[in-house]
Amino acid sequence: MASAAIRKTATEARPRRRKQDSGETEPQVDIRMIAQELTRVADYISRLKHEIGALRANELYRNRLPGAHDELGNVVNATASATNSIMEAAEEILGYDDNDLETYRARVQGRVMDIFEACSFQDITGQRISKVVEHLAAVEKRLSHFASAVNARDTDLPPDPEEARRQTRKEVFMLNGPNSDGDGVSQNDIDALFD
Amino acid sequence: MGLDLKMPILVVDDYQTMVRIIRNLLKQLGFEDVDDANDGTAALAKLKEKKYGLVISDWNMEPMTGYELLRHVRSDENLRVTPFIMVTAESKTENVIAAKKAGVNNYIVKPFNAQTLKSKIEAVCGA
Repeated sequence: MASAAIRKTATEARPRRRKQDSGETEPQVDIRMIAQELTRVADYISRLKHEIGALRANELYRNRLPGAHDELGNVVNATASATNSIMEAAEEILGYDDNDLETYRARVQGRVMDIFEACSFQDITGQRISKVVEHLAAVEKRLSHFASAVNARDTDLPPDPEEARRQTRKEVFMLNGPNSDGDGVSQNDIDALFD
Repeated sequence: MGLDLKMPILVVDDYQTMVRIIRNLLKQLGFEDVDDANDGTAALAKLKEKKYGLVISDWNMEPMTGYELLRHVRSDENLRVTPFIMVTAESKTENVIAAKKAGVNNYIVKPFNAQTLKSKIEAVCGA
């Protein structure tokens, strides 16, 4: 936008300089117009600098994004650990000898308590996910404010060849992951396709 | 049930918890000879070493997806008749149809229970 304004100013100024060379009187209004344009450009650059500062990009990539990354990593680990504990307990229960019912009952109850304990991961992961949502909301808010403040338009950059290859492969061979609620078809509908 | 409980089954999934779940469900159904692989490439190598009575495979895996594995299996003279069940979290009709066209015998949507797994195995391998 700034370079366009400068180009426009230069184009308007050029014919008038020729007039000056030929000895004609140069109207003062042109200098004022150039000054006004340059002031606008300076204002725009100043506003842009302010908006870039308000974006606090350093804080986003040093704190917010790594924060979200760490929280999600912890969620994955906590979920895997809890699942492992629950499955271990369940597998042990399935393998218990039930000849002595008293011993069997006591052992099963002990392992069931371990399962309850492991299920507490849901509370912790819920809190971690809330933090991720908070980080992402901060990023979204700042980017959206910046985009509208500078009237940003997305450019059509040529895709990175490696990224393009990965994307094509993903589109052809991979699925998009679990369906959202209400999306996709039921097992009964799928079964009908195989009848 | 009319099933050969001794038949070797290959479970293919990159998510070890899911492998463990399917292994346990198969064990509860009476199947003892269960192997696993964590992607299509590893599965293909195992399929060439041992004759399996059934393949139960996830779709989304790297480097070789379940869909690619299915196409490899169906194009291999020695493997093409091996029963193949796809298990995936995604159930869009076009994907089910694509898998069916590629030769899948049945398709299970995650999460599923022992009864669903049992009925699909019976449908695919039952007498």
